[in-house]
Amino acid sequence: MPEIVVKFDDKVIERVVSEKKRISIGRTSDNDIVLDNRGVSRKHAQIEFNDNAAVIIDNESLNGTFVNNRKITEEVLRDGDKITIGKFSLEFFMESRREESGAGLDGTMVLHTKRQKDLIVNDKSEREIIQRMGGSVLLGEQNTDFSEYRIDRDVTTIGKAKFVHVHAKGFMLSGIQAKLVKEQNEVVLVNLGRKGKTKVNGEEIDKQILRNGDIIQVGKSTYKFLEASR
Amino acid sequence: MKFALISDIHGNLEALQKVLRDIETQGVEKIHFLGDVVGYGCNPNECVKLVNQHCDIKLLGNHDYAAMGLESTSSFNQIAQTSMQWTQSNLKKKSLEILADFEMQSKFLDYNLVHAAPGRPEDWNYILNKEQASEEFENFPESICFVGHSHLPTIFIQDADGMISQSSRQKMQFSKDKRYIVNVGSVGQPRDNDPRSCYLIVNHEAGECEYRRVEYDIQKVQEKMRKALLPEFLIERLSVGK
Repeated sequence: MPEIVVKFDDKVIERVVSEKKRISIGRTSDNDIVLDNRGVSRKHAQIEFNDNAAVIIDNESLNGTFVNNRKITEEVLRDGDKITIGKFSLEFFMESRREESGAGLDGTMVLHTKRQKDLIVNDKSEREIIQRMGGSVLLGEQNTDFSEYRIDRDVTTIGKAKFVHVHAKGFMLSGIQAKLVKEQNEVVLVNLGRKGKTKVNGEEIDKQILRNGDIIQVGKSTYKFLEASR
Repeated sequence: MKFALISDIHGNLEALQKVLRDIETQGVEKIHFLGDVVGYGCNPNECVKLVNQHCDIKLLGNHDYAAMGLESTSSFNQIAQTSMQWTQSNLKKKSLEILADFEMQSKFLDYNLVHAAPGRPEDWNYILNKEQASEEFENFPESICFVGHSHLPTIFIQDADGMISQSSRQKMQFSKDKRYIVNVGSVGQPRDNDPRSCYLIVNHEAGECEYRRVEYDIQKVQEKMRKALLPEFLIERLSVGK
């Protein structure tokens, strides 16, 4: 059976061994190989097997499919070919080198759980965000506009008012509900407005030093704090 | 409708109380506050509470902003820094919570309200002369903008040709073909050589505004400030309004 080794940032995140006639690749979860990252189209590409040949077909994806660094629309795959889709690389082998270890019920074997895969992919993309933004970042998540806020000011304000730096939503939220203060090498979150409206990792806070990955809640809005390495 | 505009109280409780009493005699429907309730004076918490109780629109001033720890005080002079440290260590959590709901700029009827300057309120620029006023007239669409910040009751007028003039009249009739930036003066620390508290009454229908000056017990405030060990310069200036 053929095997596809999916890598992200040179780390293997998934090994797919399949005897399906057609393997779909894309961002959405209904694909056989899900590559959940910007730069990957929903139905990006597919690999089809006929007799003993494997053919990869690009589904007019936005950012293209590459085989051995060459952009393709349709290409016969050879053993050991390297397929590049977005930031992922997929190595193709005609025969699985691991068949003896046993496949799943549907013939697909996944060595990493989805959670592990998400961790690897997210960690890489979060490091990229920190690098791109040039410092610690507050990532807007639930009930935000998903903005990335660079924490570069001495004080960053969060709240409902129009004039604050980071906008938050919520009932009875203060105009300036909280502030992020840069103190030496640390970022400290301080609640300024009504009590109980600022939380870190689910706990109400008055004042707290933030750590990488902390989940900040201001009213209904949630943010993730990404700390640049000190 | 008549409304009152007060600004730059700076923790001067005696002045604020007397001004509020005077406003009661003026038949106004609303009182709006244009910023700087704290800083300099020794009753920041009491003043925050009174402003919150009596005022409808409440704006932040640079001293309020600094007291909340939202801005470095490096742009403040040494005396202002000393008094800001005093304010920060005496300001109660409840007061901070109230200040957290103050606005940076607001609109009321056809008027623009801001503490310092309408262009970039958070830059706290002063409007002290005709050149600065001329720039700021570009920064609001309304005919009239009310400000505080400089503690100097004065009115900048832009005529239809864009010419700027300045008036220190106590009463002003607004003309439809002109635009105005009106500084409402300071309740708690006047600086126009008149130590009495200053505020403004606006009569919307009549299209006019009038400054009111109110005497308060300056000595009492000064004694309290001395006990609080606030800088002598800040205590003395209240007697002369400078």
